[in-house]
Amino acid sequence: MLAIQAGDADALSQLYDRYNGIVKALILRIIHDETSADDLLQEVFMEIWNQAKNFSAEKGKPLGWMVTLTRRRSIDALRKRQAYARAEERLQAEPEQQPLAWVQNVTEQDIHASDTRVLIAKVINSLPPAQQQVIDLAFFQGMSQREIASHTNIPLGTVKTRLELGLKKIYDGLKELKDEL
Amino acid sequence: MNFEEFQNSARLYVIGALEPEELQDFESARKQYGTAAEDFINQCYGLHEAFALSLKPAKASSAIKDKLMAMVRERQNQSGDAK
Repeated sequence: MLAIQAGDADALSQLYDRYNGIVKALILRIIHDETSADDLLQEVFMEIWNQAKNFSAEKGKPLGWMVTLTRRRSIDALRKRQAYARAEERLQAEPEQQPLAWVQNVTEQDIHASDTRVLIAKVINSLPPAQQQVIDLAFFQGMSQREIASHTNIPLGTVKTRLELGLKKIYDGLKELKDEL
Repeated sequence: MNFEEFQNSARLYVIGALEPEELQDFESARKQYGTAAEDFINQCYGLHEAFALSLKPAKASSAIKDKLMAMVRERQNQSGDAK
């Protein structure tokens, strides 16, 4: 990131090679549209280039900063294009995969290829489905507690409790994982 | 708001799930707990990273990188010309 802040385009190229798969997966998870995802991927990395001066290593790791930026940008794009309803329809049409299976179609090869992903996914997937659902809607769809309550017909207080409990479990689980990773 | 309640709110805050009426209490507690609050919030941003890392990486078209790098180099040339 320091090299990118100094205007080194090769450093951006390396960052892209390392993280484009994760960034695109996150974009796709939010907007559910392959063509738009590629456009947004390019926009996100351009924004990383333009905004690199705002990154502070004291506040966190580059990936965390990139994910925050990607998520914000993807949710904005989703809402701007008024694709929200369409994405919702797609989500409803995929009951076997959504919203519970955050790691989909995991094969043995994938497991060997990415132990970190599998370990993190294990923590997330260990949550009760009801907690996974509200976290999924909040994080990947950018919904507020009220929007989740309205979308799921769950009382607002229950949404809040499920979010709090679920996020705490993930947070605690990740802390334990840090020793293993 | 005690610190445990603050921690619960902080996890909601980092994913943008605090309601407007909860934000004021959260910001007051954030000031009250000072550095401990800021440290905890920074740790909570690790949740973002974890959610992204839990996803199976997706393949991007190689043309995207070519376009991106062409735009970056063009911008560099423009700023070089301006100087």
